[in-house]
Amino acid sequence: MLEGVRVSKRFGGLKALTDFDFLVEKGQIVGLIGPNGSGKTTLFNVITGFYPSDSGKVLFKGKEITRCKPYEVSKLGISRTFQIVRPLLGLSVIDNITTAVLYGRDNIGSMAKGRGRALDLLKFVRLDVKKDVPAQSLVAAERKRLELARALAAKPEFLLLDETFSGLNDTEIADAIKLIFKIRDELNITIFLIEHVMKAVMGTCEKIFVMQYGVKLAEGKPEEVSKNPAVIEAYLGKKKHA
Amino acid sequence: MQEMMQERGPNRPWGKYIYLPIIMIILFAFPLVNPPLFFLTLFFSVFMYVGLTESWNLLGGYTGYVSLGHIAFFSMGAYTTAVFMNRFGISPFATAILGGVFAALLAALVGYPVLRLKGAYFTISSLLLAVVMQLIFMNWEFVGSSTGLWYKLLPVSIEANRIIFYEVMLVVALVITLLVRWVEKSKFGAGLIAIREDEDVAKMMGINTPLLKMRAFILGAFFAGVVGGVYGYYMSYVHPEVTFNINTSLLILLMSFFGGCRTWTGPLLGAVVLSLANQLIVTFIGAEISRILYGLLLVIVIIFMPNGVIQYIKGAFVSEKG
Repeated sequence: MLEGVRVSKRFGGLKALTDFDFLVEKGQIVGLIGPNGSGKTTLFNVITGFYPSDSGKVLFKGKEITRCKPYEVSKLGISRTFQIVRPLLGLSVIDNITTAVLYGRDNIGSMAKGRGRALDLLKFVRLDVKKDVPAQSLVAAERKRLELARALAAKPEFLLLDETFSGLNDTEIADAIKLIFKIRDELNITIFLIEHVMKAVMGTCEKIFVMQYGVKLAEGKPEEVSKNPAVIEAYLGKKKHA
Repeated sequence: MQEMMQERGPNRPWGKYIYLPIIMIILFAFPLVNPPLFFLTLFFSVFMYVGLTESWNLLGGYTGYVSLGHIAFFSMGAYTTAVFMNRFGISPFATAILGGVFAALLAALVGYPVLRLKGAYFTISSLLLAVVMQLIFMNWEFVGSSTGLWYKLLPVSIEANRIIFYEVMLVVALVITLLVRWVEKSKFGAGLIAIREDEDVAKMMGINTPLLKMRAFILGAFFAGVVGGVYGYYMSYVHPEVTFNINTSLLILLMSFFGGCRTWTGPLLGAVVLSLANQLIVTFIGAEISRILYGLLLVIVIIFMPNGVIQYIKGAFVSEKG
């Protein structure tokens, strides 16, 4: 469903992404892991059109989206969350989602209808009790759910999640894992997620890409990847021999 | 948008708005009592600033793209009407609209490159627009260069002329305010506000942010152009130094920030209070003093009431109750 062919991006002398290939099939939950600064978020930014790629291409449902602008990508059916959650702080929770619904793929013109749909989404992520609260008064876990609801508001077919689990406690992670499955199974949305919380990656993903210095280090099922010596080395460093 | 929801709620008393038509009727009838010219002009300038500040707020308030170039659109309107009336003899009521159209065209021309800039960069380039336009008009023979242009008055007495354009400006200010209020509560407004809150997130929501900013910029310029056209008739004279006065741009900004640029009520309150204060201070104390006071006020408002006076007072009430 979403495919990247030799995607490359450099910032001056820094190669953030080098010939990165990836494929996410419809209905999958796929993970992208790697040490900090390895280029994961850059890849998401290239996919969603925030950064133009230097070479290579990104295909969505067989159609090339490499040169699309962020709002065009959104209209085609790809939504994302941001690593540092970015609710529209000055607005109430429901207004955050309403705006996203109005400009989403259904392109709704009526404010009342938009608000109705926004409320449904807030129920879906269990944030409806806080609907009239200003977004800035939400705690971290609630902000993450708001961010999710906002990403879902456009009615995407494909969702990019950037570290949705970070900063959550164990109970919250368990809840979030359930929510991820609910999004895939009830809303039929394919998910590609960046994650550091290994428990969440292992618990949700059927395929994982490991990235280091912008290069693909490994790819495969979670259990395979976690035994891969190159991956262990990237995370823990090389074992010193006496 | 929060305000909007409360307002549409069932328990909001509509009686609260009853005074609005009354105020409007009084303002419309005001010239009938044959007031001194000073008051007529004072009120005229209040309406003018209401129109300018509300139209500025479309872009400056809702999207947060603070422009200092609004005066260029206003002057564009004033000059367009003068030229069309003097050279082609077109009726003032049609040329005011034409003034809006030309201002909108100017906005469309400069908007594409300028709106790609953000923050201070946008503000500075919008200021340059005003300065460059002033220089062009100062040196352009066709529009009277540095001697300015006189308007041909309507074939009525000078008093009647003033009264007609007093009423026209009142209507223009009212229409602009109502339209801006409508935009604020529409999908268009929701998109503009999302741009102010976080432009990247807005893009990811599927909002075509360049297009929306452009629309707000052009619509605001159109309104400013119409206001400029009517202003020209009332004053019956345009001159690059007076019409393109950069201080007017600053005043507009201050009025909007003073009242609070996030809602349509803020610019309205700011324009009324500050343009009254400005005219009174300039008349009775002096223009220099008024500039110092305005500068101080801008600093105070930005530091202590970043969301404007209305929110500040509301906030004070809430904390007293709590």
